[in-house]
Amino acid sequence: MVTPPQDWTERSRELAAVLSRVALGDRAAFATLYQRTSSHLLGVVLRIQKDRAQAEDVLQEVYVNVWRAAQGFDATLSQPLTWLTSIARNRAIDSLRRRQSEPQTVSTSAGLGDDDEHDMLQDFASPDAGPLDLLGQAADARALQACMKALSGEQQQSLALAFYQGLSHAEVADHLKQPLGTVKSWVRRALISLKGCLERAHGSAA
Amino acid sequence: MDYSRPALVDRLAAEHVLGTLRGPARRRFESLLPAHPALRAAVAAWQARLIPLSAAVTPVPPSATVWSRVEQRLFASAAAPLRWWLRLGLWQGVSAFATVAALAFGLVLSQPRPVEPPIVIVIAPNPEAAGVLQAGFAAGLTRDGRALVLQPIHEVAPGAGRAFELWAVPPQGAPRSLGLVSGQQPTTVQRALLLKDTAAFAVSLEPSGGSPTGAPTGPILSVGKLQI
Repeated sequence: MVTPPQDWTERSRELAAVLSRVALGDRAAFATLYQRTSSHLLGVVLRIQKDRAQAEDVLQEVYVNVWRAAQGFDATLSQPLTWLTSIARNRAIDSLRRRQSEPQTVSTSAGLGDDDEHDMLQDFASPDAGPLDLLGQAADARALQACMKALSGEQQQSLALAFYQGLSHAEVADHLKQPLGTVKSWVRRALISLKGCLERAHGSAA
Repeated sequence: MDYSRPALVDRLAAEHVLGTLRGPARRRFESLLPAHPALRAAVAAWQARLIPLSAAVTPVPPSATVWSRVEQRLFASAAAPLRWWLRLGLWQGVSAFATVAALAFGLVLSQPRPVEPPIVIVIAPNPEAAGVLQAGFAAGLTRDGRALVLQPIHEVAPGAGRAFELWAVPPQGAPRSLGLVSGQQPTTVQRALLLKDTAAFAVSLEPSGGSPTGAPTGPILSVGKLQI
């Protein structure tokens, strides 16, 4: 499942080389890493933490964390941007801990949204976007896209709301006006089908 | 909760990466990660599956203040080395006293100059990688920088399909590989210019056969600065 380093894209390898310099305490490499990744990570954080000032606080935390934790980066477990994005997502989710009200702007293909927020499900349908190359996972993302499409509409919606907007099970249930138990089982079954589908896709590619 | 059940581990890892694992359950799961490689592997596998979804997110350039705040927080204590220098000054005073005392005892060595002793560096375990593997080494180098003997402080095995790789780290630019080294017995490394442009030595964990990229790819297990 995890792509070995020899199969990474050139950009992913470059990023790994930069990260290895950061692990050794190289500040110039750290500045390079920030230049190459901060816009992507802020985009990821802003989907979950919608307050711009708080999102930038989260981003600051992320890079402080990356500087201190870079030595623990393990290329046999993750690609560099996957590792960085995971840190950003975790920090963004942590920042929601004290969220009081439900998010104001959430839109799905069901047409519940009313503003400029674009259709989340379209996100699955753009595998040729630039960051894919940076993720070094274009093939993985294409397989993922195909597997997402194989899910039921409810399953896709629940996953998208949870992944992109950082909604909890209860918030997804609220949003879709469905009982909590129903949403939990949609999510659980979606994850199981997704895993099975991706494993089959990788098995046939190998 | 029983974390030894693989199906449960997989579900918790999936929900952690998806973000639906929340509150105390999320924090408890995260607190277990450093000591449980199976949990870390399950999380990494789910990250590899789901994180590509974020590739389609539109990038948003952060305001310039974010970087300056990061630098401020991490590097603002640039004055700290001064304190080190002050303490070094104190030590120099003590050693000057010791020298005077040695003179007073008539212990001045008037023999011919002895052979220059080797440079000994402790390549100490990196606390950040303690969750991965605890590995420390002692390196002895000839003064001409032509040979290095690396001795593991405790016997340590890299694990199946893994190897230890030694690196010479310059003050600027990419680390140079000095090849794979053993965690069980001393490894001798012979190169022309081991000390030229070398600020530190580091050992990383790599796939067996060594780093496939020419730069360290695995966690940095131990680091030792060169002080001559």
